[in-house]
Amino acid sequence: MSVNPRLARLLEHPALWRGRSTARVPTWSTGFPMLDAGLPGGGWPRAGLVEILTPQVGVGELQLLIPTLARLTGLTPARWVAWIAPPFEPFAPALAAHGVALERQLIVRTSLPLWAMEQALGSGACEAALAWVQQARPRSLRRLQLATERGRTLGFVFRSVATAHEASPAVLRLSIVPRGEAVEVVLLKSRGGAREPIRVEIGHE
Amino acid sequence: MSERSRLAANSEQRIADSQNALADVSGPQLSALSSKLAGAAVAPAAAALWLAAHLPAIAFDAVCREGGDALPIAVVELVQRVQRVVAASPAARERGVAPGMVLAAALALEPRLDARARDTGAERTLLERLAAAAGEVTPRVSLEPPDGLLLEVRGSLALFGGVEAVCEKLRAAARSVGVRAQLALAPTPLAALAGARVPRRRGSALFRVMHRAELVGALAPLPLAVLRWPEDLNARLAKMGVTRIGQALRLPRAGFARRFGPAALAALDRLVGGEVEPRRAVAQRERYRARREPSYELTDQPAVVAFLAPMLAELEAFLRSRQGSLTALDCRLHHRGLAATRCRLRFAQPAFAADAIGFLLGERLAATVLTAPVTACELVSSRFVPRHASSAALWQSGEHGGSPANEAPALIERLRARLGEESVYGLCLVPEHRPEVAGRRVVALRGATRASSEQREANGEQRTANSQKALAVASGSQLSALSSKLGSAAAARRPLWLLSTPLLMSAPGAWPQYEGPLEKLAGPERIETGWWDDRDVTRDYYVMRNRAAAQLWVYRERRPPHEWYLQGIFG
Repeated sequence: MSVNPRLARLLEHPALWRGRSTARVPTWSTGFPMLDAGLPGGGWPRAGLVEILTPQVGVGELQLLIPTLARLTGLTPARWVAWIAPPFEPFAPALAAHGVALERQLIVRTSLPLWAMEQALGSGACEAALAWVQQARPRSLRRLQLATERGRTLGFVFRSVATAHEASPAVLRLSIVPRGEAVEVVLLKSRGGAREPIRVEIGHE
Repeated sequence: MSERSRLAANSEQRIADSQNALADVSGPQLSALSSKLAGAAVAPAAAALWLAAHLPAIAFDAVCREGGDALPIAVVELVQRVQRVVAASPAARERGVAPGMVLAAALALEPRLDARARDTGAERTLLERLAAAAGEVTPRVSLEPPDGLLLEVRGSLALFGGVEAVCEKLRAAARSVGVRAQLALAPTPLAALAGARVPRRRGSALFRVMHRAELVGALAPLPLAVLRWPEDLNARLAKMGVTRIGQALRLPRAGFARRFGPAALAALDRLVGGEVEPRRAVAQRERYRARREPSYELTDQPAVVAFLAPMLAELEAFLRSRQGSLTALDCRLHHRGLAATRCRLRFAQPAFAADAIGFLLGERLAATVLTAPVTACELVSSRFVPRHASSAALWQSGEHGGSPANEAPALIERLRARLGEESVYGLCLVPEHRPEVAGRRVVALRGATRASSEQREANGEQRTANSQKALAVASGSQLSALSSKLGSAAAARRPLWLLSTPLLMSAPGAWPQYEGPLEKLAGPERIETGWWDDRDVTRDYYVMRNRAAAQLWVYRERRPPHEWYLQGIFG
């Protein structure tokens, strides 16, 4: 098919999304080649809200992010990584062993995770922010999505898989199913990602 | 030769005689400077210039803060067992109430008169606050209690652009403090004070003498009363027909000293600059502390915030005059009959802007519960740290080359103000095998401020002397080396999540359960350490997987009763 080259260049604009076509957004590699291949643009978006749904806490969702966090905190100049209302205490030796720079981590204990998350995302001080949220209406998630654009920040929101049927304004929405030493990542919403579940070997060593 | 010119020549002679004519400036380097100046040709323009502020209504301003002019109010004081009026509002003066009057007489003139007791403590506080505010004009401010202030402004004229600008700055300071001030400029402190004390009529010009040569002529028509000599001395002079300063200056010196005492003659000499009069500058305070009482009780947070706003503006001016900034600020809200509500703000980076501090204070107050109406507000600052001006970056944070230099402290402060100090923290590694002490919470953005180093010291003190050796906190370059060492030694089989307190698991049949039966993946790994403090552990650690496929870090106590605990989740 012959397309006017000027039109083709226009169609590649990141703000333009055409159905299943892969959007060209700047991304960070996830550190897992299988996952990179399945995600639109080849990784996590550099700015945007990613929703991760899990059946329960601790099935491997954090290990999926650790290579990314290690890379982001190693940038110069490094911005911060905010942990909003984590369910347990992040264990410093394990993070350090994975190469995550501890002096760039900010832990926030709060009963207002959505407010704190919006502050962290919109401030521009953080490269990434992780929030564990029980209840969130689409409108408040929309606010978070807008904040990620304002602060050029990557935001992860962890929720229960029971909320999968709810509408979500996140740019990327995925569900994690544990499968022994590996996890299966199902993209519930993405701009041109894989349709099939992606098997990721998070295998510890 | 006329009397006056002889007197002036006399005083000029005396200036030349005394080497330290210009040494009313305090400090050794200044006296060195003045002797150098005196050696060269003495230019009168280079001499000190004093700006005096006389506060004629300070007794009234101290007890009646706002909007009292329209009401018949009088301030009374007990003088020799008689209540006398010392100050009165314009409304009361219109009815004939005048200072010096007995209270009974004043009440006869105006039956609705609101008589208030004089508060000399409040007057002194007011004067000190004006002195602090005047620190913006010049560092050389001295108090002239009970109702005067002296500023040496020769150097400030060039800085602020002339006499009018300097006077306007001092008037603005007086307005912000809430007092009325009459100003005067003269080359000697006493002359400036005398000029300021002359009662003003509407539209009368500023008493302004820039050079010593013009001083005697300008002082001559002023009444002797402005010098505040004892009453009987003034009366004796008046009997001789001497009521003006010029007349007193014209009297023969020897006879004047014999009749009226050498002190009065010395005062005249100081007045015209014949004798140098050193002044002690007010020591500027190292901390800001202020307490204000609203005229009515404040019941909700927005009212408290609004009431604090002018105090914060004053704090900002206070900081600006010292080029300082704050690491912490204490706010105390006093209640009637109850303990004060305290809230302490800690800044991630030194702060000085009133609106930024006000925003954080507002956030913090919104989160605090007011147990009772607020009767007084108090602000106490930390010690000052020097202010470092910073320039804005070309790149925004997140762009190529942009660094979050300003955004990160602002974010941390906002979160802390709303959520509390202890809710926002960073992580730090401790070389230690016991999982519960291997990671530690630290103040986020540590090392950036003094407040955080104080916090660190406080943390250090909590630990025992023994464990302090063992728990040397690693930081910076040590950290990466340490992390790689720990990583290899422990083979990275450490969970990403740690439970703050280990969870006791049920173990029917000697094997633990957690939401169903557990499957062993790795273990046991023995950790047995900590005998030097009272928290020694001896445990066998296992990695297990539960039915929901979450990997758990579980340990079994080696001491009886051999309980199983869940301590971590691999995440």
